[in-house]
Amino acid sequence: MDEPVRDVFPGIFEDSKNPRLIGGHCPGCKRKFFPKPIVCPYCLGPVGATPLSREGVIYSFSIVRIKPPFGLPQPYPVGLVDLVEDGLRIITLLDPLKTEGLAIGKNVHLMVEPLGVDAGGQTCLRYYFTPV
Amino acid sequence: MRKVDIVGVGMTSFGKHQDKSFIELAVPPIVDALKEANMKPSQVEAGFCSYALAGRLFGAVTAGQTILWHAGINKVPVVNVENACTSGSTAFHLAWMGIALGQFDTAIVVGVEKMVVPNLGLISSGDTEIDTLEGLVTPASFAMRALCHMAEYGTTAEQLALVAVKNRRHASLNQLSQFRDPITVEDVLRSPMICDPLTRLSCCPNADGAAVVVLSAAGRSRRFTAKPVRVAASVLVTGSYENPIDLVPWETDYRACKKAYEIAGLGPNDLDVVECHDAFTISEILHYEAMLLCPTGEGGRLVETGATSLGGTIPVNPSGGLLSKGHPVGATGVAQLVEGVRQLRGEAGARQTEGARVFMAQCMGGDKDGDARSCTANILMNN
Ligand SMILES: [Zn+2]
Repeated sequence: MDEPVRDVFPGIFEDSKNPRLIGGHCPGCKRKFFPKPIVCPYCLGPVGATPLSREGVIYSFSIVRIKPPFGLPQPYPVGLVDLVEDGLRIITLLDPLKTEGLAIGKNVHLMVEPLGVDAGGQTCLRYYFTPV
Repeated sequence: MRKVDIVGVGMTSFGKHQDKSFIELAVPPIVDALKEANMKPSQVEAGFCSYALAGRLFGAVTAGQTILWHAGINKVPVVNVENACTSGSTAFHLAWMGIALGQFDTAIVVGVEKMVVPNLGLISSGDTEIDTLEGLVTPASFAMRALCHMAEYGTTAEQLALVAVKNRRHASLNQLSQFRDPITVEDVLRSPMICDPLTRLSCCPNADGAAVVVLSAAGRSRRFTAKPVRVAASVLVTGSYENPIDLVPWETDYRACKKAYEIAGLGPNDLDVVECHDAFTISEILHYEAMLLCPTGEGGRLVETGATSLGGTIPVNPSGGLLSKGHPVGATGVAQLVEGVRQLRGEAGARQTEGARVFMAQCMGGDKDGDARSCTANILMNN
């Protein structure tokens, strides 16, 4: 029997069909975080898990053309994406099949697919944002 | 707080030192710096040794004690320092702090790295960080800053390239630099793309190298040298990691430089010569702005005016910078100070800034959540 493909990082997203990234939320400070911190760094209180918005806007990006790490395609784009609803700016892989036409301000949404390997060299499910 | 002076410096050339081990590389510049300071090894009261990659590459652990023992220094406190690209300037900061607080009267700072090895791979913030797993490599994070700077302030690819061209011109006057042949804007723009818009010649090369600084309490420094150089400010800060954070302007960089100016009681107009952490062309432009050499957003136009070239109003990276010398991570922050001391003593030869009295070294390291892990700003001056 095949083992299920692991997530790139345990607990970082849920439901690969209709995926959501899992962030943290401090009820006291009403702040969100990604990834979820151990405690709230502002009040040191407990942080709950919260699914984040699937929709984002590119804040900046680059296309990495050198030999890629973690078995990623060559080239691949990486970016900082604003999750406007959550008030968070996150570092994320962008769609390796769509390196053309990327731009600051472009709308993107979250995908999860088998892509590259994890830190242990195993094939894994990885999240990325693709242009809408 | 007591005043602190630099009384001796030494450094290897930066480049490939295939004939020497990591430990062997560090020892000769210690001997040179002690000789320059007329200081016996037994007069050194503390040692700070920085390296960032030797643990990963060679399994080095607490190598500082071995290195210093080879140079005759033992028994005294020795601390091994890792703080990414600011490892060397952090080691310097700790040595300065110990003397300023009266814990000891003399100290030595040794920065060393050997990284021209097969399959070094890309430098990132560590394989367990989610940002790294999602494909963030260090040149990409600076490429993203470059894109923001271009979009927000109209900085051009040619202006970015001019930083590499200028620093290479400076390097032609520095025998210790790895690359010394002149390059043009076209060369920079046409070299292979690494992370858009940064090409290979827009990124600093790897290097082996070591650099050393010997410090003394100011009250005693003239026992060691006729030309002590005063540490007017030594600052180390960490990023804020607020979210969202803007890539430009770089708040952490501004905060470190501002604090250094306040402590020294000086401003940007007092500087005569600067070394900054030009790991990428865009980095130098961002650091101009943080050091207040120009208003925010004007860094690209500043390099175009020639103000930051040797002979300009405020020469930046007269040594050739990381872009020409290479970037042996643990040595870089110390080597910047070696250049500063040589400029202030009037010993920089063909790349001398005439009458230099005040020098600033800015260094930055690591990547976390779109911010630096550390930033140092050190101001040196003639008494
Ligand atoms: Zn909180």
